[in-house]
Amino acid sequence: MEGHKDVLFGLYDDEDDLIHAIQKAQKDHLDIHDVFTPFPVHGLDEVMGLSESRLHIAGFVYGALGTLTAFLFMSWVFTRDWPIIFGGKPYWSVPAFIPITFELTVLFSCVGMVITYYTVCGMGPGADNPTLHDRITDDKFCLAFNVSDSSKEEIDSLKGFLSGTGATELNIKTI
Amino acid sequence: MNQFTFTGRERMVLLSLIVLGALCLAGTYFVEPATMTVMNHGHEETVSTYHMRFWSNFLQNSVYFLGMAFVAMFGYCAFITAYGGWFSGMKRLWEAYALWMGPALIMMAVLVAGVFFHWHHLYHWNAEGVLDPTDAHYDEIIAGKSAFLNKYWYAASALIFVGIWYFITLRIRSISVAEDSADVGDYSYHGRARNWMAAYLPFVAFTSAIFIWQLMMSIDAHWYSTMYAWNATASFFVGMLSLTVLMLIYLKSRGYYPNVTENHMHDIGKYLFGFSVFWTYTWFSQYMLIWYSNNGEETIYFLTRRDQYPILFYGNLVINFVLPFLILIRNSSKRKFGTIGLVAAITFFGHWFDIFYMIKPGALINIAGSQEAATELGSVAGYWFPGLLELGAFIGFTALFIYFTFSKLSQASLVPEKDPYYGESVTHHVI
Repeated sequence: MEGHKDVLFGLYDDEDDLIHAIQKAQKDHLDIHDVFTPFPVHGLDEVMGLSESRLHIAGFVYGALGTLTAFLFMSWVFTRDWPIIFGGKPYWSVPAFIPITFELTVLFSCVGMVITYYTVCGMGPGADNPTLHDRITDDKFCLAFNVSDSSKEEIDSLKGFLSGTGATELNIKTI
Repeated sequence: MNQFTFTGRERMVLLSLIVLGALCLAGTYFVEPATMTVMNHGHEETVSTYHMRFWSNFLQNSVYFLGMAFVAMFGYCAFITAYGGWFSGMKRLWEAYALWMGPALIMMAVLVAGVFFHWHHLYHWNAEGVLDPTDAHYDEIIAGKSAFLNKYWYAASALIFVGIWYFITLRIRSISVAEDSADVGDYSYHGRARNWMAAYLPFVAFTSAIFIWQLMMSIDAHWYSTMYAWNATASFFVGMLSLTVLMLIYLKSRGYYPNVTENHMHDIGKYLFGFSVFWTYTWFSQYMLIWYSNNGEETIYFLTRRDQYPILFYGNLVINFVLPFLILIRNSSKRKFGTIGLVAAITFFGHWFDIFYMIKPGALINIAGSQEAATELGSVAGYWFPGLLELGAFIGFTALFIYFTFSKLSQASLVPEKDPYYGESVTHHVI
C-alpha cells in the first residue's frame, strides 16, 4: 500500500525499561521509528537525542505581538479614533491599558502556540492519527520499529530484541 | 565535603566589609545637618532632622535582612508541608538565613527602644502632641488610628511576633540538626519538624503583615494600602532567592554541594522569575487601583513618589521587573550559572532599592512636617537616591548577614543526608 508502513512495536510496563531499551537499541545501531508514552518521561528527549523544542520562541513572538496589538490599538482608539475622558483621566492613560495588554499577551501567546503545535505535529480536526495500541495513552510505554522493508529474519531479531529488553507484548500493525 | 569550614580569609574579607559598613552607617549619623530649614504653610521653619538619615538606613537594612530571614523560613516550611523534596540537599542554607532572626531581634530592640525613648522620629504617630486635641500638632487621622499605631503594638510586632518566629525557627533547626544522628529510616524527626512548620506558616502569614504595616507602612501614617504587605513580602522573597543563588554559586566554587546542580538552580530560577512577576503584579495593582479611584489622601503618596523620585519609581520597575523578566524568560538562562548569577545580583540589589523607595521618601516627609514642605526641599542627600554611605551600609549589612550564615553553616553538617527527602534532592531532574 502506498504511504503505509508496517510497524513492529513492543509494549513496556515501566518507563525505566523503555529508556534502557532505547539505550540498548542505539548501542546495537537499530533504527527506532518512534517512541510513545502516556506521559512525558524525564530524560527521554536526551536519550533519543531530540533537539530542544522551539515552540517557546514562537510563544514569545506571539506574546510580543499580542502586547503590541493591544497597546497600539487602545492607544489609537483613545487618542485618534474615539477619544473619551474616563474619570478625569487623560486620553492616553497607560495604567488603564496594562490589564488588557496583559490579557491579550496571554491570549495571543497561548492560542498561537496551540495552533503552531497542532500544525507542526499534523494533529487537529481532520488529521489521520493512527494509534498503535489503546493502552499507550493509559499505562504502557511503546517502542516502535519500521519493518516495511525488512526480511523475516530481521523482524525476528527485532522481536528478540524487544522481548529481551522486557517488552510484555509484541505486535505488528500497518498504519 | 559535608562539613563547611569558614576560612580565615573569608573572615578577614567579611570583617573588613562589616567595618566599612559600620563606618558608613556611622557616617550617615554625622554628615546629616542637625537641622533643616523648610517652608511650612508659607513661613520658614527650622526643624530637627533627628538623625533621620542614620535611622532610616538602619531601619531599611534591618528590615530587609529580617524579611529575608523570615521568608526563607516561610519558603522552607511551605515546601516541606507541600511534600517538596528538591531543595532538601541545601536546606541548611535556608536554616542559616532563618536563624538571622536572632541578631535581627537585637536590631528590632534598638528600634523599639528608639520609639519608646524618642531617639528617632521615623514614625510621625509617635511624635509629641499628635494625639492631643488641644495641641497645635494634633492630627485627627493619626488619632483615629492610634488604637493600632502606638508604641505597644509596635513593640509587639517587632519583638513578640519576631520572637515567636525565632522560637519556632530554633525548634525546627534543632530537630533538623538532631536528625543527622538518627537511624536510617527514622522519619520521626521529619514529622516533628513538620508540626512546627504547620504552626509557623499561618502564624507568620498574618503577623508578618502586621509587622510590615508597623515597621514600614506606618512611616506614612496617613496612607495605607492592603497590597503593601504582599508587595514587601514578595520583595523579601525575591531578595532571599537571589542571595541563595549567589551563595550556592560561591559554595559550589569552593567545592561544596556537588549534588546541587543546574536542575536545582533551574527551580530556584523559576521561583525568582515567578516572584519577580508577582512583585510587579502587586506593585502595579497597588498603583493602578489608587490612580484609578483618585482619592486625594491616597494618590498624594504616589504623586509625590512619581514626580519627586522618578529614578526610584521607574528604576524600581526596570531592575526588578524588566531585567529579570526578559533575562530569565528562557529556559536555558535559568540553568546557566553566569546568567542566573547576574540576575540574582541585580535583584538582590533591586529589592534593597525597593525597600529604600518604600522608606526614604516618607522619612523625609516626617522631617519636613508635611508633604508640601518635603517637596520644597527637593533632592536631599541620602533620600532621593542611595548615596555612597547608603551603599556602604548595605554592603556592611550584607557582609554581616553572610558572616552569620557561614558561621551557622559551619556549626552543622552541610548536607542533611538523613533527611527523608535527601534522595529526591540528589536525583532531582527538571528537563
